[in-house]
Amino acid sequence: MQGESKSSYIQFRREQDFVDCILMGNWSIENNSGFQVRNEWESFFKSNPTVEVFKFQLDSNIDWDSTLVSFLHKCRNDLAEVNKSIDFQALPSGLIQLLELSKPTLLEKKQNEFSLSLELIDDTINYFRDATLSIFSFFGEWISSVVLLITGRSQSRFQDFAVSCRACGASALPIVTLISFLTGLTMAFVGSVQLEKFNAKIYVADLVCLAMVREMGALMVAIIMAGRTGASFAAEIGSMKLNEEIDSLRTFGISPMEFLIIPRTLALLLMIPLLTIYADVVGILGGLVVGTVVMDFSVIHYFEQTQVALQSMWEVYSGLLKSVVFGLIIGLVGCYKGMHSGNDSSSLGRAVTASVVVAVTIIVVVDALFEVTFSYLDLR
Amino acid sequence: MKEDSFKKPSILEVENLNLAYGEYQVLEKVSFSAKRGKCTVLMGGSGCGKSTLLKSMVGLLAPKDGRILVDTIDLWAVDQEEKTSILKKYGVLFQGGALWGSMNLVENVSLPLETYTELNEAEINDLARYKLNLVGLSGYGDFYPAQLSGGMKKRAGLARAMALDPDILFLDEPSAGLDPINSHRLDNLINELKVSLGITFIVVTHELPSIFDIADDSIFLDGQTKTLLAQGLPSDLRENSEHERVRSFLRRGTPISKN
Repeated sequence: MQGESKSSYIQFRREQDFVDCILMGNWSIENNSGFQVRNEWESFFKSNPTVEVFKFQLDSNIDWDSTLVSFLHKCRNDLAEVNKSIDFQALPSGLIQLLELSKPTLLEKKQNEFSLSLELIDDTINYFRDATLSIFSFFGEWISSVVLLITGRSQSRFQDFAVSCRACGASALPIVTLISFLTGLTMAFVGSVQLEKFNAKIYVADLVCLAMVREMGALMVAIIMAGRTGASFAAEIGSMKLNEEIDSLRTFGISPMEFLIIPRTLALLLMIPLLTIYADVVGILGGLVVGTVVMDFSVIHYFEQTQVALQSMWEVYSGLLKSVVFGLIIGLVGCYKGMHSGNDSSSLGRAVTASVVVAVTIIVVVDALFEVTFSYLDLR
Repeated sequence: MKEDSFKKPSILEVENLNLAYGEYQVLEKVSFSAKRGKCTVLMGGSGCGKSTLLKSMVGLLAPKDGRILVDTIDLWAVDQEEKTSILKKYGVLFQGGALWGSMNLVENVSLPLETYTELNEAEINDLARYKLNLVGLSGYGDFYPAQLSGGMKKRAGLARAMALDPDILFLDEPSAGLDPINSHRLDNLINELKVSLGITFIVVTHELPSIFDIADDSIFLDGQTKTLLAQGLPSDLRENSEHERVRSFLRRGTPISKN
């Protein structure tokens, strides 16, 4: 009896066209004998296809919890599939009630249906088609809203633009200062070691200054802003969507594109080149610190060398041109991801992550394309 | 606006509406009309498509088929400009209030006024505070939505919905999540606004006390058949509807003794 009370059992008593299934033992969530009973049930069920009615009853010493109910639920489903009858009459009324409550609904049955892998491919194609369509229509709507703004028929408000300018401009200064200063400083260190071998240490000024204005200033600011502002656009707009705030704008006939997205993207578009100029200067100062403190050049000597390196202002303009494109990418990706996040909090998290990952990826690719184009056009 | 009110008894007509999310059909062949200056309640069990129907009527979800006529103009057949002019006649209260979190209550109510009227700042401010007083939120104008309780957010949402003196107010489960007293207050407010301002109400709810309090007319949507099952005065439907499901819904599922 000791062993018996620890696990669950099923016994079958066959009578012509019906069978008595007697359940006994200890049916508990804490013991793991349930699978044996399931196996027994399945092998009996399969090896006796002539049985029409299955009568279930409990042994008097049985101890049970939800595991028994779920087992009976499974038996009922198995039998329903092959149109056989199940008889619960002999079970206690409480158990019958539980089984009644857990009767499968239509929805559950549908989910059990087998889905073809062809459907999966079809779904994937549809997904990409829809995504491409929605990206292009988003961009198109953005452009037409900018046109509306230029022609003075927009619902965009200047105050939203100003608030966004502060959020993605002035508030970003500390982090931009730190990162670009350290970038300039690191480049000067790395460069000085190499240039010393050729006895050309003063060219550190050229290296730092050209690398900052052409490349690192724009790229570093873009990456910072993608993590900082792009993510915040996605989170802000995504949570507004979650709270039906976007819907309530629409029901007032206010376009979310004009009211939310235009002020934000334009603010970023304006602020990013300004931050890039600032980052260029701070990066050069970082190089200057290494040049004067570590390499013992005078400040004037270092600056003169920088001036020589920067003979054409095109070097600076090309960096700014890139930064404007980066700004557009960050703003649009952030807002797009926010507008298309789902209606639950986990999809909002995914939208924010995706906004940063996608923006940084596109930025790096576009940056490479810029450099290739510039060198083909003899602009470097 | 006022001379319009004698034009036609029904302000909003829904004809053979078919609603679906992608492949998933929500409602089929729904037709009804809402009478001017009355309160029409959309009721039905959870998941029967009440909110979906509301979304379609307020211009957020394009129907697969059928028409929604607002003063005889088809909301989904006109261009954006005309649609916006229809939407200006609307006020919508969403389930959670859906107040704009970055603005305080006065700014929330002011935004539609700033967008569509030529009023100056002081006038708009006064008007916004008046609307907030109307829903019992005097003195809360400078509060942000995050500082308010659920019931207050709903009332503030109602104030914002009324900002442009709408002809039709759509309320999505206005009393869900409110305590009985506040819920009763909201019902009274709806009745008063209906009588004093002549606003047409379209209310989605499944709170029985509310339904009997505010409805002049009601439609019952059925999740199983995905259709409109019955239309009429709720107390009438409770006693005399030919559909068992409608009668039992209006009696909270208690068995019916019909004699």
